[in-house]
Amino acid sequence: MMGGRISLSNVEVRLNGRSILDVKDMQIRQGEFVGIIGTNGAGKTTLLKVCCGLIKPTRGTVKLDGRDLAGLNAWRKANVRKHIGYIPQAAEYNAELPFTLRELVAMGRTSVKALLRPLKKEDYEIVDNWIDRLALSDRRSQTFRSLSGGEQQKALIARAMAQDPEILMLDEPCSNLDFNWKYQITEIIEQLHSESKITILMVSHETSLLPPGCKRAILLHEGGILADGYIEDVLEPKSLEKAYQCRMDILKLAGRRYTVNKS
Amino acid sequence: MNLTIYFMDSFFFLVILAGAIAGASTGLLGAYVVGMRMPFIGICISHSAMVGTIYSILLGVNPVWGPIIFSAISSMSLGMVRPGRSRIDANVALAIFFNLMLGLAFLGIGLMHGSRSEVLGLLWGSLLFVRKSSVAVITISGLVFVVFAVLFNKELKVLLFSRTIASATGVHDSFVYCFFLALCGLILAVNLPLVGGLMIFSLITCPAAAAYQICTGHRSVIVAATFFGMASAVIGFLVSYYLDLPTGACIVIVSATIFAVSAIYRALRCKGD
Repeated sequence: MMGGRISLSNVEVRLNGRSILDVKDMQIRQGEFVGIIGTNGAGKTTLLKVCCGLIKPTRGTVKLDGRDLAGLNAWRKANVRKHIGYIPQAAEYNAELPFTLRELVAMGRTSVKALLRPLKKEDYEIVDNWIDRLALSDRRSQTFRSLSGGEQQKALIARAMAQDPEILMLDEPCSNLDFNWKYQITEIIEQLHSESKITILMVSHETSLLPPGCKRAILLHEGGILADGYIEDVLEPKSLEKAYQCRMDILKLAGRRYTVNKS
Repeated sequence: MNLTIYFMDSFFFLVILAGAIAGASTGLLGAYVVGMRMPFIGICISHSAMVGTIYSILLGVNPVWGPIIFSAISSMSLGMVRPGRSRIDANVALAIFFNLMLGLAFLGIGLMHGSRSEVLGLLWGSLLFVRKSSVAVITISGLVFVVFAVLFNKELKVLLFSRTIASATGVHDSFVYCFFLALCGLILAVNLPLVGGLMIFSLITCPAAAAYQICTGHRSVIVAATFFGMASAVIGFLVSYYLDLPTGACIVIVSATIFAVSAIYRALRCKGD
């Protein structure tokens, strides 16, 4: 059976004596596309990092496909995380290194192969396949740093997909992109979800970035879950007003939800 | 002057060889250290190796193991400093660590009786007094690092690009990183008596920074950094020899010049695009 389930119970993350995340219960089922929405500092990135074990919660249990992350040593934890595709925010990778696009996408095969096993021809076939699928073929031997912001994001998605992930976690994949690229990137993510049926967790502070395929939303506010469920029920003016502390309306257009400030 | 006579001279040959190997291995190491945006770690480890040597001399024990043990311990503890995890910036933590090492070093020198020339040589290195046995040691440690870099090439690439990605996606990052730091300690400890604490820092940063300026692709960076490191040491030594100037200073200036030339080259090339 394909994995991709996440379960959090009574998870709290404290930093400098302050609680920055407090989640009583959160269950992500296999194949779900979940949008994590919230204001700056609501705990979105922290939640994502807790889910993949980058941040160890102060208390509570995080289970990945039924396995408790806290009970695993570094080696076993790495093995469990092999099938997590992770796309961090730009500050967390060094875009200035002269890696070529193909080298970067090939990094996705690293954890799939055991230590000491070099990448083989079939790995590069998978890599090239993802480069082609994301329409980056003519950029193959260019350096990552020479690509535009949108192309870099596509390259990171190709890298994550080359890993053959069961869960794809994206941390604000559209920040710093112009509106056309924002649309394109989210379309790609939606398409990947409908084709591969992997679990997707996407963090965003804009509701309009969640494509129509995203059926579930989790609204975070001050480290806690304000609403969780069917996107239609979660992204409604009342809870959004509470989270964003302003009066707002929601415009639905082509399956996406745009928030408009009323006052 | 007839060059062949000099090359026949085994002393001259040995110094060139030692310089080439020391330059190449620190240049190669630098490609990773600079790529991981932590060049400070080099100066911290090399100075803790220096502290190790000073206190071994002070305590009258074999000065070979002191620096290796000291730099291994310090590189491991530096490995605990993870950006974003602790409340202070990693570079600030490294700076504090460096100052502590410098303090310990000078304390050790102050406690010493008799000749201090051996110890002061650690700051500048003593390439001219190299022995065959030390050439063998730096060659072996350099080769160990090459083998490591080849075997863990795919993991090291991800670590260079992003530790967050490496960690989140199940690359055995802690294992490879600790292994890397331990070898860092080894290379710096064994090269320290030859090139000295001050010069080793420039051999770690300049050749690698130059390679990152002009290369496309990971492999070419690694090869270029190694080559630039070797070239800095050899050219620097030859310049100092023929112009009768201090060796360490010449090597540092040559390595900085290589960086400057590659930065200008990149600027001109980008302008042309």
